[in-house]
Amino acid sequence: MKKQQVKFQPRQQTQEELDESQTLKKAEAAREFASAEEVLRFDAEGIEVPAEVEERLAESIRKEAPPPEGSGGWWRKMFL
Amino acid sequence: MTAAVAQPSMDDELESVSALAQVAPDFAGIYQEHSKAIFYLCLRMLGEEARAEDATHDVFLKAWRHRDNFEGRSSWRTWLYRIAINHCRNLKQTWAERHISTTDDEFVLQNTVPDTESPLRVLEIKELGERIQATLERLPDEYRMLLLLVADEEMSYDEVAALTQQSSDAVRGKLHRARKAFAAEFRKTE
Repeated sequence: MKKQQVKFQPRQQTQEELDESQTLKKAEAAREFASAEEVLRFDAEGIEVPAEVEERLAESIRKEAPPPEGSGGWWRKMFL
Repeated sequence: MTAAVAQPSMDDELESVSALAQVAPDFAGIYQEHSKAIFYLCLRMLGEEARAEDATHDVFLKAWRHRDNFEGRSSWRTWLYRIAINHCRNLKQTWAERHISTTDDEFVLQNTVPDTESPLRVLEIKELGERIQATLERLPDEYRMLLLLVADEEMSYDEVAALTQQSSDAVRGKLHRARKAFAAEFRKTE
């Protein structure tokens, strides 16, 4: 009787298994929301205000704000 | 031998304080507390991050310029929202983006699917922002604004009503329709 040769082959994932794993990955990221507000709250939590906005605001205010008392203007005191 | 402990220099201390806190110490706390809510409203009202950044800057600059007019009859949050809503409306008018408002109540209700009780399912969180934006843009401006304001847990129905110049009952009624419209449009973005 001829001995059947069994070659070791690394097991390859079937298409079904690949599909299932993709579905699971998606399910991990899946989330359900009960209402529009809940969706919006979740979305808002993940949003950060870029730091540049605060820097630009500081710069705009600096241009408009009067200089603090006692700073500069020594010449003014001299002549007034 | 005693270890030398490095004392922070005045320059270091100044660096750790934000630029805004240096020029407007009293206003910096207000910015810290409310900027995220205002930025989010602007982002979802205007639809683009760059526009939302500009709008947030402008809203807080207006608030700073007119801070002496703030009488404390409403909260800072409500006052800032009022400025932001007017600002976004003006911008949208200027950009002639009014064509979106063809989605009036009737249109939305006609297109609303009856199944609004089931939860809104999201498979890919990373796409959530795009889907929300697409959904909000399909809604009438008033629905969009009401949903965004009510989603802020710091805002009561009464405050939203005062801010949008209508009764609390009117807000509740419109919110009911706005939620249905949002759910219907959100499912279409899948």
